[in-house]
Amino acid sequence: MNSLIKFIQKYSNFLVFLLLEVVAFMLLVSNREYPKSYVLSSANRIAASHYERVQHIRSYFDLRQVNTELAAENVRLRNQLVQYANIAEHELEQPTYQYSHLDYSYEPAKVVHAITNQQANTLTINKGRRDSVYQGMGVCNGDGVVGIVASVGERFSVVIPMISVQSHVSCMFAKNNYCGTIEWLGNDIRHVQVIDVATHVDVAEGDTLVTSGLTAVFPSEIPIAVVEKAIIPQGASYYSISARVLPDFKRLNYVQLIRNNAQIELENLQHESRP
Amino acid sequence: MKVVRDIIFLVVVILLQILLFNNLSCYGLCHPQVYLICLLAMPLTLRREWEMLIGCALGLVMDIVSNSVGIHMAACVLVMFLRQPILNSLVQNSERLTSAVSMATIREVAYIQYALILIFTHQAVVSMLSTFGFAHVGWMLLQILISATVSAVFILGYNLFQR
Repeated sequence: MNSLIKFIQKYSNFLVFLLLEVVAFMLLVSNREYPKSYVLSSANRIAASHYERVQHIRSYFDLRQVNTELAAENVRLRNQLVQYANIAEHELEQPTYQYSHLDYSYEPAKVVHAITNQQANTLTINKGRRDSVYQGMGVCNGDGVVGIVASVGERFSVVIPMISVQSHVSCMFAKNNYCGTIEWLGNDIRHVQVIDVATHVDVAEGDTLVTSGLTAVFPSEIPIAVVEKAIIPQGASYYSISARVLPDFKRLNYVQLIRNNAQIELENLQHESRP
Repeated sequence: MKVVRDIIFLVVVILLQILLFNNLSCYGLCHPQVYLICLLAMPLTLRREWEMLIGCALGLVMDIVSNSVGIHMAACVLVMFLRQPILNSLVQNSERLTSAVSMATIREVAYIQYALILIFTHQAVVSMLSTFGFAHVGWMLLQILISATVSAVFILGYNLFQR
C-alpha cells in the first residue's frame, strides 16, 4: 500500500497527463461523427448567445446582399406560383404535384455562427428544441440545400453543412433521375464530389443535381449543385464528378428548416418493418 | 493589479482567437492558434498538475467555440506537460522564473526555441486530430507548417514588441 502511494506521488504528473489525455480522446471519439452533446458544442447557450450577438451586429453589413437575394427569390416564387396556377387551371384532372411535397413544411432560422475553414465544418442556427427542431432535419436556403441538423440544444442547434467531411447527401440528376451521393473532399468550399454515378449515365457539364427524395430529410427536387467537371478515370466504372454548390457558405445568413410532418409516422413504420 | 491585467490579457487573446483568427481561411490551410501565448507565458510557480488542468480548461473553451470537442484539449494538455522539462533544459535556474515567461525574462534564443517547439507540437496534434485519418498527409503537413509559422510570427512578434 505504501509503495503504491509512493508510486502515485512519484508519477503524479504523468498520471494526471494520461488521465486528461484519455478524457480528451474519449470526448473526441464520441463526438467524431458530429457534435452529439449540445453542452460541449456551440449549441450551448453561452457560446451560442455570444455568437448571436456578434451575428446581430454583423448582419447589418450584409443587408444589401440579403435584399438582392430576397428579391431574386421572390421572383422565383412568383414564377412558380404562376406555374402552379396554370397547372390548377389546365390539369385539374391529373394533378402533377408530388404527394411528398405536401408532407413538408418550411420554417425560417438564422445562422448565428458558421465554421467553414475546417474539415469538420459546422453551422449554428438560432432554433432549438423549444421550436421543436429535431435531429436529422433538413436545412436549405433560397439557393439550395445547406445541410442537416446534427445536434439540438434548447434554443440553438448545430447543422452539419454539405461542405463537411462527415456529410453524405443523396442526390439525383434533374434531367434523368439517376441517383448519386454527394461528398466533400475537405479543401474547397465551393465544390463537392458526386460519387456512385455509373459510366453509362449521360452526364454533361452544367447538369443540375437535386435532392432525390429517397430519404425523409429533404423533399425531392431541391437544387444542390451544378456539375462543373465530369471525367471517367482510366479503367474505372464510375464517374469522377466535381460540382459547384449553390449556396454561398461563406455568407450564409438566413436558412430554412425543412420539417417532415410525417417524420414520426415514417420512423415508426421503418422501425416496425425491420426484421 | 497585475492579476487584473493578466485576466484582461487572457480575455482579449481568447476573443481575438475566436473572432479573428478562427475565421481566417486560406483554402483551409491557415489556422493560427495565438491563444497559446497565454499558456506559454505562465510563470513556473504552479505545480505541473495544475498547469495541465489549466491547459485542459483553456483547450475545452476553444473546443466548445469551434465545435471540435477534445482536439484543443488534448493538444493543450500535451503542451503543458512538455513545457516545464523544455524550459528546464533551455534555461538555467528556471525555478527562479516566478514572473511571466517571455523574451524579457529569459534569453531571446531560448524563448524562440521554447515557443517554436511548443507551437509546432500543438499545431501538429490539432491538425492530425482534425484531419480525418491520414488520407491527405501532404495537405496536413502543409497545414501544420503554414498555421504554426503564422502563430509563431504573431506570438514572437508580440514578445518582441513588448520587450
